[in-house]
Amino acid sequence: MILYQYIGLIIGIIGIIVTFLRFKDGKMSLNMLLVWSAIWILLIVFSIYPDTTTLLASITGIGRGLDLILIIGLIGCYYFIFKIYNIMENIEEEITHLVREIALEKGRSEDKRDDTSPKDNK
Amino acid sequence: MKTTEPPQNSSEEQKGIYIVLPAYNEEKTIKEVMGELIDLGFNLIVVDDGSTDNTYRVSMNFLKSHPSQVSLYRHPINRGLGATLRTGIEAAVSHESNVIVTFDADGQHHSQDILPLCQPIIQGEADVVIGKRNFKEMPFRKKFGNVVMNIITLIFYGKDVEDSQSGLRAFNQKAAGLMELHSRDYGVSSEIIGEVRRKDLRMIEVPVTTIYTDYSLSKGTNTRVGLKILARLIRNVFK
Repeated sequence: MILYQYIGLIIGIIGIIVTFLRFKDGKMSLNMLLVWSAIWILLIVFSIYPDTTTLLASITGIGRGLDLILIIGLIGCYYFIFKIYNIMENIEEEITHLVREIALEKGRSEDKRDDTSPKDNK
Repeated sequence: MKTTEPPQNSSEEQKGIYIVLPAYNEEKTIKEVMGELIDLGFNLIVVDDGSTDNTYRVSMNFLKSHPSQVSLYRHPINRGLGATLRTGIEAAVSHESNVIVTFDADGQHHSQDILPLCQPIIQGEADVVIGKRNFKEMPFRKKFGNVVMNIITLIFYGKDVEDSQSGLRAFNQKAAGLMELHSRDYGVSSEIIGEVRRKDLRMIEVPVTTIYTDYSLSKGTNTRVGLKILARLIRNVFK
């Protein structure tokens, strides 16, 4: 094994540990646990057996194994950016919903208070 | 500016008209705008969108002095014009309103335009009325952004209107209740036009006067805002 394989292996192991710890703490959903575990396991497999990438590359018709890894990595990154963007948008919408509900609820209760108390300038 | 009780001759028409006033950091203009509208006998629904200046305090003073005419809602944090209008319209629908008018708090609208704007609704000729501004009088940087937005509104919402971005609009109860708006920012103006088409509402445009000051020019639709809205609309297509 050469240096990059060790680095890949260590990053993969750390990744799995962090993923499991986050899942254990309830900070990660089961879906995300599976996705991230698969990513880290693939990284470890590709680090220990770099030839598997060449095999996959020849199956998919992409020239070199490294190219395949880079293409998959890039697509994966775009997917996660898209996912994070959507999550952020959903959170923004939820915050807006909350803020509007708070404003309407508070406004309604003040209106009711005005209706029940004598008007001060009438 | 006077902050007296409504004039004795305020008609029944005015009593059924609720003005939604979205306000974000408008302390410089809101006192004058609110005072004028109250003097004309309209009901006001002020929605403070998390202002960091004295907008809320000024509005609260009006609420205390005119509790029968003013309702005040406050977003704890800033959420944008679209969210503010949604809150205001929802609040107005819950009141006994015949006509719901949206009116910018930056002082660019003429309060005398409100009644002519509401007339088609009162007479049952339209469900939604848009106050169209005179583009000939509009400064170039504003005009460019607004023309682009009209084209974008036509492309994305399929409705050709003369002024899609006007902040002065009137709805009847039914139309206001039917509006399903999702935009948080200035895109809401185009979305309203889209809803008019989607819900098959009757809409007409009535000419209104716009008061251009350096202050009002610094707000609303300009080229930058137009590009932001375009980006959001394109994203919505892929959603």
